[in-house]
Amino acid sequence: MTAYFDIILSGIFHAAVLFLIAGGLQLVFGVQKIVNLACGAFYALGAYFGITMVGLAIKYGISQELLIFILLISGIVIGLIGVVIERLLRLVYDREEGFQLLLTFAIMLLLEDVIRMIWGATPKTLGNLSMVYGQITLGSISIPNYKLLVIFASVALALGLGWILQKTKFGKIVRATAENRRMSEALGVNVIWINVVIFTLGSILGTIGGALVVPTSAASLEMISEVVVEAFAVVVIGGLGSMRGALVGALIVGLMRAFAVHVYAELELLLIYLIVIAVLIFKPNGLYGKAAE
Amino acid sequence: MKKKLVQNKNRRSVMKGFGAASLLAVGGSWGFPAIAQNRPLKVGILAPRAGIAATIGECGLRGVLFAVDKINKSGGIAGRKVELIVEEETNAKDTTERFRKLVLQDKVDCVQGLVSSGVSLAMSPTVEEMKALTIYWDGTSQDGVKETIPNPKYLFRSTDNECEAVMSSLLAIKYFKGQFATIAGINPDYSYGRNNWAAFQALLKRFGIQYKVVAEQWPKVGTMDLSSHIASLKAAKPDLIFSSLLFADLPVFMQNAHAAGLTKGTKFVMPAAGFQQTLLKKEFTPEGMVFGLNTLDFNYPNATPLQKEFVQHYFDKFKDYPNWEADRAYFAMQVFKAGTEKAVKAKGAGGWPKTEEIASAIEGIQVESLGGPGMMRADHIAEQTFYQGLTTHKNKYDFVTTNPTDKKFSNELQKPPGVDFWQWLETAKITL
Amino acid sequence: MKFKPLLILVVLIFALCMVPFVLPAYYVTLVLPAIAYGIALIGFNLLFGYTGLLSFGHALYIALGAYTVAIFTSRLGITSMELNILAAVLCSMVIAIPIGLLCVRYVRIFFGMLTLAFGMLFHSFLFKFYELTGGDSGIKVIRPHLFGQDLSHLDKTAYLIGPFFYYSLFLLLIFGFIMWRMVNSPLGNHLKTIRDNPRKAEYLGVKVHQFRLISFVISAMYGAVGGALLVVPVGLADPELAYWTHSGNIVFMTILGGFNHFFGPIVGAFAFIGLKDQLVTLTQYWRFALGVVLVLLVILLPGGIMGLLSKKNSPNRGGD
Repeated sequence: MTAYFDIILSGIFHAAVLFLIAGGLQLVFGVQKIVNLACGAFYALGAYFGITMVGLAIKYGISQELLIFILLISGIVIGLIGVVIERLLRLVYDREEGFQLLLTFAIMLLLEDVIRMIWGATPKTLGNLSMVYGQITLGSISIPNYKLLVIFASVALALGLGWILQKTKFGKIVRATAENRRMSEALGVNVIWINVVIFTLGSILGTIGGALVVPTSAASLEMISEVVVEAFAVVVIGGLGSMRGALVGALIVGLMRAFAVHVYAELELLLIYLIVIAVLIFKPNGLYGKAAE
Repeated sequence: MKKKLVQNKNRRSVMKGFGAASLLAVGGSWGFPAIAQNRPLKVGILAPRAGIAATIGECGLRGVLFAVDKINKSGGIAGRKVELIVEEETNAKDTTERFRKLVLQDKVDCVQGLVSSGVSLAMSPTVEEMKALTIYWDGTSQDGVKETIPNPKYLFRSTDNECEAVMSSLLAIKYFKGQFATIAGINPDYSYGRNNWAAFQALLKRFGIQYKVVAEQWPKVGTMDLSSHIASLKAAKPDLIFSSLLFADLPVFMQNAHAAGLTKGTKFVMPAAGFQQTLLKKEFTPEGMVFGLNTLDFNYPNATPLQKEFVQHYFDKFKDYPNWEADRAYFAMQVFKAGTEKAVKAKGAGGWPKTEEIASAIEGIQVESLGGPGMMRADHIAEQTFYQGLTTHKNKYDFVTTNPTDKKFSNELQKPPGVDFWQWLETAKITL
Repeated sequence: MKFKPLLILVVLIFALCMVPFVLPAYYVTLVLPAIAYGIALIGFNLLFGYTGLLSFGHALYIALGAYTVAIFTSRLGITSMELNILAAVLCSMVIAIPIGLLCVRYVRIFFGMLTLAFGMLFHSFLFKFYELTGGDSGIKVIRPHLFGQDLSHLDKTAYLIGPFFYYSLFLLLIFGFIMWRMVNSPLGNHLKTIRDNPRKAEYLGVKVHQFRLISFVISAMYGAVGGALLVVPVGLADPELAYWTHSGNIVFMTILGGFNHFFGPIVGAFAFIGLKDQLVTLTQYWRFALGVVLVLLVILLPGGIMGLLSKKNSPNRGGD
């Protein structure tokens, strides 16, 4: 039984990170109706920038125990690049989906080389820094506390987002705009501003995800195209546009993958795609999605 | 009994030959016909510059630059200076295209390089078809343990992939015999990982070691998120873990394995860990692991002056320590130099030798490489000196080194020309 | 076809025939994938430009064609290129029909996501089932016999820039001609109608799903032929052929050439390969350059090169 604990924990950790990226995707799709293929680039950007910031922090003598806060702040800071990217994306809001998708594909290519220019093409790691938080050992189970902190942070972000969207005036405006942009505009909502805020929020979620994952993994250029497929699986399973869907979808994908690796390694990602296809066939709106126009 | 004697004799005679060969190599252009060749010799280099193998490619490049520098300073190869044209090794398709460009457009005299077994396997038929003299650093034309190009004319390959696995297995048996019953493998999902895992098990069987495989993980090359794999390994509770992980994912694996408590009480056998040696810090890398340094142990106590010179040069310039890719790159260039000079000498006043003549001359050539003596067999497979040992924290660095370090020449670790791997395993006299 | 465009076409075909005599060997070998992609892309554009469905998993069929040739030549010993191409076409048809049946019920983003999922499913399968598919290293492709001729007396380069070049060109002409006839037939009109207004088409009695399926399967078959040709120069079929970014590049090439025009995709294939080759030699940040090109395309020049040339630069499909 304890053997499965490690697997479940690793699945939940993976889900916590996936939720952030998928959440970003959902926000952007909900309001702007664009599927952002460049989400992986934001993820990678967060990871690389996080490493740089942590390096700087250590150099200036900041305590290693502030690691997670430094990463969170780095994620938020670099995520602001979303403001600039949104400007570019704005040019295709009224265009056909295919072109919107292509533009995000182009942005992915651009950002990949920007990362390459700034940080080089070799994967970067933070060494053993995550161990500064120690571990909890219960018998044969040993849990690095960092992983728990990340799961906690992700849950906190999920709750925070949920609160903003459901309980605040801003959230109501966002949901209204997602439902019916024209109507919102007619009612005096500054849709342009909403677009900027939402897209940036979406990119920040992605960059935070990358920053948080880096201590136990690494920042590499492969991240960019690989996470896209998993994130897509999450939003399809959860339902396009739904934050709750992102949460549940992330859990499903994270846990499935952890178990697949254990039970039948060959299946690893195959299983996820099969589930995606099954969901798209039987419940195309996913578990929580709204019907598409 | 007889076989053992024969093998030892071969080794001794091979060793003796090196003295003479190294003199020749060091001698430079003395005694060679004065050919008015002011045109430099162009050598194309294919090495990874990006991604998980970037640091390895970089180390190899540094090794070949060191070699070329030395060669040019002492007059070049038979009087001609060496010029490098470097192209990036990426995936099989694109690398084959870069190779084609080097041969057709840049018209290089020789191509050297390649780190990935997958790419080298794919590119090998093209090498022979394009009749381009090519010396792989770390590449092979074997599909698993099966040779796909039995009689190459232009292609020279590195030692077989199974060398490090065989040596690791031997060391595992030597040091861990009787201490493990269950084993698990976590190997990169491509030909190299598959070869290694198969060879390891074959050796265990050969020596009559009883074992049971309780887990087999095949992470995709480039995956940095190994937590599920580690969790799965933990769940299987193996006594021994065999891992030929060797790219940037290795330190990530080690660190996470340590955090998950996997490194306590489990024996580790890592035939290719040397690539990441300086990143395998003591804080998360245990002692007592079988650790493969392949053809270069920078820290070897009785290193040759050449190796000492190189390690010092490398540290002064790059503030780091080299891994075996630098040795492979140096070896390839030395083989090319020695073969070319031999062919030039044989040709005498007849002009510069043809590619085929140089290729013939390379067969059987012996050279002194950074990590020790090496040679090129008549079947175009290299023989080099291999180093592996048990990890220790007792050193002046923040990463692990090996002590004791065992040294073996590859003719003890790879199958002889024309022999099938499985056959060789059954019948060869392999000593611990 | 009008006289002037026909003349231009004849001149271009003649120019292509002259390529092996005029360009250095390396550049001739570069034209080969352009021809292969040309065939794959005119198939893709049947689905995209003419039927209005954007597939983000088209690389699947290219990979399928590639692996078919690989398995046939190196594992089954069937070296006839004609048999290989036939096999590739049949295989892709068999796989595309069920996938198509599932996918064409959806449109727009769902169609894109579903096709992406299938593409990645295939990629995963190719990658993970090492025993069957060779995993990461893929499967070798042995030089096939063209029209029954065993050309092994020629070295690889001579084979590629000689017989194989003309063989590919010949296939491009044949498949191009077949496609031309298709899009200018009632089938083509049905597809355009469905693209422009599916509801109206349905109302008019056009069986929307059925025609979309036909378009899907034909485009898959063309993709497989392209894949079969693509793989011979390299000598290897590997899983990266099925990765989603390869599908992305296919869309890129089609838009670059111009999806509103019949010859757009072929122009796109040549332009993309030429552009990429030059950029790779010029800078290590060629992806950035390509990204900029794509951004400019999408924003300023959605009609692509052909759109520029024929002054039909509207982002709305109304082509041909």
